[in-house]
Formats: sequence, structure tokens, C-alpha cells
Amino acid sequence: MSEATALNLLLFLPVIGGALLLLLPERRPDLVRGLTMLVLSAQLVLAAWLYLEFEAGVPGLQFETRIPWIAAWGVHFHIGLDGLNLLLVLLTAFLGPLVVAGAFTSIKQDVKLFHGMVLFLQFTMLGTFLAQDLFLFYVFWEAMMIPMFLIIGIWGGERRIYATLKFFLYTAFGSILMLAAVVYLAFTVLSQDGTPSFAIADLYALELAVPVQVLLLIGFALSFAIKVPVVPLHTWLPDAHVEAPTAGSVILAGVLLKMGTYGFLKLGFPLFPDAAQLLTPLIMTLAVVSIIYGAGLALVQDDIKKIIAYSSVSHLGYVMLGLVSYNLLGVQGAIIQMVSHGLVAGGLFLMVGMIYERCHSRDLAAYGGLAKLLPVYSVFFMLLTLAAIGLPTTSGFTGEFLVLLGAFHAAWPQYEQGLIYPLALASAAVLGIVLGALYMLRLVRRLLFGDTQAPEAEGGTLRDLSLREMGILTALVAAIFYIGLFPNDFLQKTEQAVIEYQQRVLPERAEGGIR
Amino acid sequence: MTPEGLLLAALPEHLLLLGILAILITDLVSNRPRDAFLPALVTVIAAALAAFWLHGVGHSGAPFPGHFSVDPDAFAAKALLFGLAVPVLFLARDERQESRFAMLLLASLYGAGLLLSADSLLMVFFGLELLSLPLYALVVLGFRRPESAEAALKYLVLGGVGTAVLLMGLSLTLGATGGLTVADFRTAMHGEDFLARGAVVLVIAAFMLKAAIVPFHAWAPDAYEGASVPATAFMATIVKGAVLLALVRLFGEAGAATELLAVIVALSLLSIVWGNLAAMRQEGFRRLIAYSSIAHAGYLFLALLGPAEARFETVAFYVIVYGLTNVLALACLPRGEDWLRDRLDSLKGLYHRDPRAAILIAVAMLSLAGIPPFPGFVAKFLVFRTVMESGLVAVAVVGLVASYIGIYLYLRVIRYMFMSPAAVDSRTQPTAGFAATAALLTLAAVLLVGVFPGVVLGWL
Repeated sequence: MSEATALNLLLFLPVIGGALLLLLPERRPDLVRGLTMLVLSAQLVLAAWLYLEFEAGVPGLQFETRIPWIAAWGVHFHIGLDGLNLLLVLLTAFLGPLVVAGAFTSIKQDVKLFHGMVLFLQFTMLGTFLAQDLFLFYVFWEAMMIPMFLIIGIWGGERRIYATLKFFLYTAFGSILMLAAVVYLAFTVLSQDGTPSFAIADLYALELAVPVQVLLLIGFALSFAIKVPVVPLHTWLPDAHVEAPTAGSVILAGVLLKMGTYGFLKLGFPLFPDAAQLLTPLIMTLAVVSIIYGAGLALVQDDIKKIIAYSSVSHLGYVMLGLVSYNLLGVQGAIIQMVSHGLVAGGLFLMVGMIYERCHSRDLAAYGGLAKLLPVYSVFFMLLTLAAIGLPTTSGFTGEFLVLLGAFHAAWPQYEQGLIYPLALASAAVLGIVLGALYMLRLVRRLLFGDTQAPEAEGGTLRDLSLREMGILTALVAAIFYIGLFPNDFLQKTEQAVIEYQQRVLPERAEGGIR
Repeated sequence: MTPEGLLLAALPEHLLLLGILAILITDLVSNRPRDAFLPALVTVIAAALAAFWLHGVGHSGAPFPGHFSVDPDAFAAKALLFGLAVPVLFLARDERQESRFAMLLLASLYGAGLLLSADSLLMVFFGLELLSLPLYALVVLGFRRPESAEAALKYLVLGGVGTAVLLMGLSLTLGATGGLTVADFRTAMHGEDFLARGAVVLVIAAFMLKAAIVPFHAWAPDAYEGASVPATAFMATIVKGAVLLALVRLFGEAGAATELLAVIVALSLLSIVWGNLAAMRQEGFRRLIAYSSIAHAGYLFLALLGPAEARFETVAFYVIVYGLTNVLALACLPRGEDWLRDRLDSLKGLYHRDPRAAILIAVAMLSLAGIPPFPGFVAKFLVFRTVMESGLVAVAVVGLVASYIGIYLYLRVIRYMFMSPAAVDSRTQPTAGFAATAALLTLAAVLLVGVFPGVVLGWL
């Protein structure tokens, strides 16, 4: 099997799985689950193989496929792996089987449709990461909303319809403006180069006036910032997270939110470098506001899911901060932080789902002393909490530490030139870590310790984690510690792409050798 | 023009005429009205294939110079409109068995054929009338409800006004330019004097009325609601498509004068906004389709603003996609009493009663909303790219934002089908029979256009 074929297979496995799913009878949910599990596991194996085969230090794309799709417009089916999307593809493939395994017992109605939607989602998410053609990217980007809309709307909680409409309408609004920018770019390429093209590599080479860049960046950024979400565009997130079924929350937090930050990394900043530099102070400010405001909101919530939802806002603020540092440390830290948050928040949502399945309540006040009732559960919860706080040896530490280092690295020379603002922002971001420890420890203290109580605990006992649940969580925790202890391989494989990103956005600083 | 040329140039129309005769004869010999289905189906397929073939070989000619001429574009337009009529006929087979439906449909298609080959304004008038007159009867054929008659009358009266406006426009064109050819109309489009401008405005207003552009849209919701499902499908897709494609032909190479451009932009955007807003509040499926079709007419008119060489491709592609998805949605409506199946409430919980139909209606709705990966997205992209190419960047952005409003109404249908419990009194049955065939046909076409839009664009 050639390597490009392997990447195509990785992308299209969910489609094949979905087609097979159609043939299965609705009455056999076990077969449906088994098939989906099989397909997604195969996908994970393939992704792991591609990761191992990926060569560090090679510029450009690997495992590339490029065939004309809409020839007259210069649209190609163009996919490939580079250092920017490699880890995110791996993360997506890793979370897939865990999500399905996590939903074994919690999804009981419309099982076939649910698994079809999970496969559809997996296809569109991988497509968005892999697309190297702007048109293709947009198609996958938009298509992603459809399965998520249904997952929240059908299997969600009480206010699911409100939440899912809010989610869809928010993200669709961003997408419409992005579409306007895409159309404009398409027609600029045609007038500058004489041949139509949507290849992202060609678009990097476009020369646009700064005001045009600013407008286009706003078009793209609005769409990405809603997805991230950056304060003040975050209000859809708590509703979507709270109402979504566990699987929906896990995918939402684990992968979907990264679409926004990946969009900035792949398109937003490098396509419009001058505008990006111009708007950097604004983006940095919003990132720090997200870090602190998200953490502050997480501190006062009583709904467990909301705490984790707002913590996502805070953690993705770090990613944004790392991206606008434009140096190797910060951007690589941002990528590691994306993966880390996917694992940690995904894991926490899974754990909330597990307790909800047993007690049917997400109210923090209803719980206490679970450490005595559910010892195994508590150990895993504690481990994930430590990773969320960013304790050394966990992935959270690697990500946040590198991001902050990068932010200070970028701010210091500016401080020496008399600009205090970036340094002040970077310092303020540190505060987020303290707040992070505060809200997570508050959650743990009230959930795991104190007087023993839990709703629907018959006779004061609850069933502790099953083998299936332990397996899921062990996989997550192992990955979290692996990244925390051995980040080197990940850093090596992303380095080349990050240097290219840096050269596109900030040519002068990249040449100056400041890393 | 040789007799062979005459035969060839209007071959699709000749086939339609033969079909009408065949149905008349069948009606005489057989007393089973459903026997008309087969000749009608064969005729429409043959006419579509003939147009497809003539487009393929690049035939062009003018059997009646100055009145009737054909070129590959005209054949492409005919092929796609006649092709769209095939699933509509299947739909009609389920709905009603009268041979009258098939005959009226063929007559209307004949009018579309003339309209799309017209070189003189008289021919335009003739084609447009022949296209519309059978429609009044088609609407009243759904005579199961008192509203049908009312709707048909309303449609007739407003259609009559449209005819009068068109005729007035024609006579002003004659006065302004001294001729009645399409070329004269194009001259009038750039005329500075009051007479020429009046002529152009009146002609375009008549077309806007037929295409249901705000503020000439009032007939559409009533007519669509009063008509039977296949008649609605026919009006919403083929008639609208024919009118727009004819307007593209009428405009030709000419661009609109600035003031006219402003009017078209304003009314198109108004249609998009109002169509989408009003559709949100509808409780009947056909009224929803009607208002959505008003919004889509707005997109189609926006496409007319683009550079001349891109207009036909844009409009034709849009008509294909829009037509297919509309027919798909209507074909998948659950069976039952007419008033019942029209109620949006009847769609509640459809996924649990008929998952296939629910999924297909969802596909149609998402495509109409212009959400990828469905072909409606490519069509929308094409329209706004065309608009931007002609330098109207702001118009494109406003149009896109206006189209955003529409997303909600299509989501509402999906929400009903997938997320609401079934209404207690739902007595509708899953789709089956000929409607299912129609759904299958359109689904195959939708998938083809969705996965390989490049192929279709290359064909046009």
C-alpha cells in the first residue's frame, strides 16, 4: 500500500463504515456498535502507522494526494499531512474509538443514526485537518456542523433544541462571513495569477493590500474565534456542552474546538500576515481575557459540565496566546496544548458522563465523598484533574509551560523597546494557571471529598467503573503522561512546519534567528 | 432552412407535440386515465434526450429567422428542464390519474421550449403564455379543497396582470426601437429615453412576476398551497427555471444599465430577506416551499448581474440543483390526506416512522440552505462568485448574510423530523410507489451533482 493511499483510506474509512452501517438492521444495536468500533479502531491503527512513518524535518506535505475536483474553478481534492495537522489527526483518530466505547451504554435510542453521525463527524473532522485546498477545507468545515447539530439535538438533555440551534446558528454565522472571504480570495487569485486556484499554498503567495487583509482576516477570524471559542463569542459553548450527550461533549471539546485554533494556525495568520501582525495586540488581549474570564466563570459554576466547559474556554486561550507569540516555543506549545486539552477535557467529560449515567445529576451540590463510594473512579478523576491543572509530567504542563515561555520570549524584546503591554498580558496569563488550580481543586474537593452523598445511590453504594470504562480512561491517562514525559518526538515532528508558519507570518523575526 | 433542419432544430418540441397527440388518442381509446402516464413519460424522456443529444453535437440553427433559433445553450436548458419533468411525472402518477395532468404538463413544457428558443419578443410572449396557461388549470386540478379554486383564480388574475404588463412593455419597445426582436430589446436596455426605460422595466417586471420576486410574489404561496404536490413541484422548479433561463437568453451579451442594476439588486436582496423571513412562520410545507422559492428567485436574479459569459452557466447550474432538491423534498412527503400531509406538524417524528424519507428531506433542506457537502452549496458559491466577479463585492456579502437567515427555516424542518415527538393524530403513511421512484431518481442526480459538480459544470 502506498503511503498516499493509506492517508486516503484513513479519511474515507468512516464513509465506508457508514455505508456498511446502512445495511445493518435497526434491531441489532450490538452489531452497529461493533462495526463502528471496528472501523474507528482500524482508523486509529492507520493513523498511528502514518504518524510513525511521518518524517521529521522534511519541508512541505507528506502522503500527498492531489486530483482535480472542479477543474474549471481550480478546485482540487488535495490532502496531505504536515507538522501542523499531524498531531491533530492522531488525536481525532485516538478519541474516535473512545467516544464510541463511552457511548456503549448511554445511547439507547436511534443507535444506528447515532453511530452514523459519529462516523460522519469523524470523516468531516479529519477532512478539515487534512484539506490543503481552501474549497475542500470549507466544505468539510461546514459539513461538520450537520452531525453535531443532530447529535446534540436528538440525544441531548432537556434544553437540547435551544442549545443545538444556538450552536448551529452561531457557527453558521461565522461560516457565512468566511465564505464571503473565500469567494473574494478565489476571485483575487484569478485576477492576480490568471489561473483559478484554491490551493492553500498558492493563496499564501498572494499579495494583498493591508486593509483588504484586515477585512478578510476578520471574515476568517470571526468564524474561527466562534469555534475556539474566544470571549466574547463563547456563549454558545456552555449550552452546547451541557445539553450534548457525553459523546457529543467529548468530540466537541476534544476535536471540534481545535478546529478554530487550527484554522488560525493554518489559514488565518499565514494567509494575512500583515493583518495578523496588526491585530496581534487585540488577539493577544482576547486570548488573555479568555484565559482569565473562562477560569473565573468555571470557579463559580455548580453544574459539573459547565465547569469543564468554561475551563475549555480558558485552556484554549493559552493556545491562542501561543499562536500569536509567533516563535517556535509558543507555537509548538500551542499545538501540544491543543492535543493535551483534547485528551484532558475529553476525559473529564467522559467521567462526568459516567457519573451522570449512575446518578442522573450534574449538580455539584448533590455529590460528595465519592472517593469512598467509587475509589477507582476517584483515582482516574484525580489524575485527569492534575493534568488539567498542568502539573509537571502531564501533557498539560508541557503545553502551558511552552506557551507561556513563548509568550514571554516574544514580549521581552518588546519590553526592552519600551512596550509594557505584551509583557503585562503574558504575566496576566500566568494568573490563569492559579485560577485553573483553584476551580479544579474546588471541583475535586466537593465531588470526591467531604460528606458522602450521591443521588440515586441505593443502599449507599454505587457501581464502580466497569472494565470497559477503566480501559477507556487508562488509554487517555497513558496518552496524557506519555506526552508529559516524552514530548520530544512530538516536538520534532512539528518543528519544521512551525518554522514554515513563522516564516510566513513574521519573515523578519524568523530570519533574525529568534526562536 | 431545409426540412431536416426544421425537424432537427425543434426536435424536442416536436416530440412533445407528438406526445400530446398520443395522450389525446389514448384518452379516446382507453377509459383508464392512468394509461396516459406511459406515453407522457416516454415523451418527456425522449424530448430530454433529444435536447441532450443536440446539445452534445453542438447543433445550432434558425429555422424561423428572427423568431426561433437554437444554439447549444438553448438545448442544454431544454434538456435540464425536460429532465426535471421526469420525476414530476412520477409524482403525478401517485397523486392523480387524470390524463389531463400529463397533457397540461407537456403543453407547458412546449411553452418552455418556445420561450428558450425565442428570438423575437412576440415569441417570448407566446412562449411565456403557453408556459403559464396550463398552470392555471394545473392548480385547479388539485380541486380537493375550496382553496384550490381561490388560489387558481388569484394566480390567473395576477398572471393576467403580468401578461398585460409584458404586452405594454413590448409595445413600448416597439415604440422606442421600432422593432420587436430580442436585439431591439437589448438596444432598449441601454436606451436613455423614457420610452426605452419604461419598456425594459415593464418586461423585467413581468418576468419578476412569473419568477415570484418581491414585491410581485403574492400569488406564489397561495398557488403553491392550492395546487397538488406534483403541480407545486412543477411550478417551483421547472416554471421558475424556464423563466430565469429565458431572461438570461433575453439579456444575451448585454449588461444592465446602472439604474436597472440597482433595482435588480434591491429587489433580489429584498426577496431573499423577505422570502426567508416569511418562510420561518409558515405552518404548511408547500407555503414554506413557496416562500423559500421566493428567496431562491432572489439568488437567481443576482446571478443575472454577473459577466455575460458566466450567467447561463450559473443560472442553469442553480436551476438544476434547486429543482432537484425541491422535487426530492416534495417526493418524500409522507402519504395521506392532502391537507394533512401539507401540515408541517405531520413531519414531526418522521424519522421514526420513515427514516429514509426523513433523511432525504433533510438532505434536500440542507442543500436548499446551501450547506456543504450538498450541491446547493456549490450553486450558492457559484452565484456569489459570479456577483463578486462583476465587482459587486458588497452586494455579494449582503446577499450571503441574507442567506444566513434562511438556514433557520430549513433547520426547523429537520428539527421537526428528527427531534420532535410525533403528533398524536398523524395518519400519514410512509412514501411508497411512484413517489419513491421519483425520490430515487432525484437522489441519484443530487448525489451525482454533489460529488462531481465539475462534470455538470463542464457539460453546461
